[in-house]
Amino acid sequence: MNISKSALPIFVSCVYLFLYAPIFVLVLYSFNKGGFPDAWQGFSLHWYSDLFHSEEIWRAFHNSIIVASVSSLLSVSMSVMFIHGLRRYQRDLIGIFYSNALIPDIVLAVGMLSIFSYCMIPLGLTTLIAGHTLLGLGFAMPIIKGRYDELDKSLIEASFDLGASMRYTFFHVIVPFLYPALLVAFLLSIIISFDDFLISFFCSGSSVQTLSLYIFSMIRSGISPVVNALSTIMLIGSCLLLLIMMTFQRNLFKD
Amino acid sequence: MVQIFKNIFKSEKSFFFMAPALAWQISFCFLPLLFVIQLSFCTELFQFVTLEYFAEVFKLSHFLVIFRSMLLATVTAISCLLVAYPVAYYVALCAPDRMRSTLMFLAVLPFLTNLLVQVYAWFFILEKHGVINNFLYFVGLDVGHLLNSQFSMYLVMFHVYLPFMIMPLYSTLEKINVRWIEASLDLGASYFQTICRVVLPLSIQGVKTGFFLVYVTSFGEYAIPSLIAGQKNYFVGNLIAEYFFIGKDWHVGAAFTCLSSCVFIVSIRGYQLLLNKLVDRLQRV
Repeated sequence: MNISKSALPIFVSCVYLFLYAPIFVLVLYSFNKGGFPDAWQGFSLHWYSDLFHSEEIWRAFHNSIIVASVSSLLSVSMSVMFIHGLRRYQRDLIGIFYSNALIPDIVLAVGMLSIFSYCMIPLGLTTLIAGHTLLGLGFAMPIIKGRYDELDKSLIEASFDLGASMRYTFFHVIVPFLYPALLVAFLLSIIISFDDFLISFFCSGSSVQTLSLYIFSMIRSGISPVVNALSTIMLIGSCLLLLIMMTFQRNLFKD
Repeated sequence: MVQIFKNIFKSEKSFFFMAPALAWQISFCFLPLLFVIQLSFCTELFQFVTLEYFAEVFKLSHFLVIFRSMLLATVTAISCLLVAYPVAYYVALCAPDRMRSTLMFLAVLPFLTNLLVQVYAWFFILEKHGVINNFLYFVGLDVGHLLNSQFSMYLVMFHVYLPFMIMPLYSTLEKINVRWIEASLDLGASYFQTICRVVLPLSIQGVKTGFFLVYVTSFGEYAIPSLIAGQKNYFVGNLIAEYFFIGKDWHVGAAFTCLSSCVFIVSIRGYQLLLNKLVDRLQRV
């Protein structure tokens, strides 16, 4: 075990350094007083104030929030219903949803773009939500299914025997039991939706912009520290969501 | 009789529960895929089958594009695997308990940050007036453009996809009991033998998951090649996007999508066989 004592920790810290060095530089320069090609000129928050006053970014943020929350809500609720309905079938139909993660995004995006334009559905928020919900289904299904399998099925029977209706059982027995998994799946779908670039790129049309698309167009047109500030805030956002998820995931495994 | 009727009613009810997700999956995943296949074969909707679109993409230049994407995906997957395995091994089995969750948090965080944010971070560093060039200029070197090179693109791909590899590897390595490794070492196996015959076979599922996760996602990558490598280096994702956005030649674009998907599926099958063979070979070390 000699190797693991000395060389391995050094190697691992190098890898972590490599993973975080670019992000560190990015965050550091969002506090730079000067513009982009200049070197460090002193601490300042004025890029952040520019960020909060930019109407375009607020609009993109607004769109991203709408798409992420609606599509996550849709994918989580549809997943719960599907898994609950699945219990009577012997076949493990859940496999069909794994295809969303197995097919390269670009193929899905091209398919959706062509079918939307064939059906004359105008590209916009609706089509974005449709695509992101599809992505979310692929991630929410396995998480919720894992928790549902732990549910003692006699609880459902007991609830029926005591005279509860199907609907009452669903909302008062099953959903409370699944709650931590539902929250994790919901947050993960939100993050997936916020991160997605390809589906947004193909299905958003020219009128709607999300944060990913905004950053893409900014990289194309050149660098501005405002994007550094935006990236820093998005990083903090994912940090917070991940912290919440990890706390709940731990509870999820405990009982 | 009443029982049978009840059962039917119940099963219909459970179908009602499953219907929304199924409908969504069919109308936004399976139908679009079918539609793409249809686009590549027919001049009108499901009519007039022709092979002319395929004839147009059956060219050496297009196969070269597919080959380049395969190479990119393979190099990314293998380099990520080689670096991620020791990291995941350390975090899962060697790291002190109190550091484990922090290390895992740091490994998962890049996976959950926006891809474009990471690309932007690299863009910022590699740009003509970026950090590295400034530093090199300060030292007295002038290397010129770091962007628009194959090397930078591979570097960014490696950086972005590394967390994709660490996560599945960690979740299988975590289940290994450290005692088994100690037992193997106590019984006289060398460190190398222990890795090949105990640790690797026990974590092979994670290796497969990670490899294919990275391979699949990086095969169709669009943003990184087009932003970091510039426009001249075509990959599958960029060419498909060009057919659909700029050329507006959807039939040929769909044909190319189908062709590259077929090659892609064959290559995945090939890698599966190769990985299985490799595991067999390792067992005999």
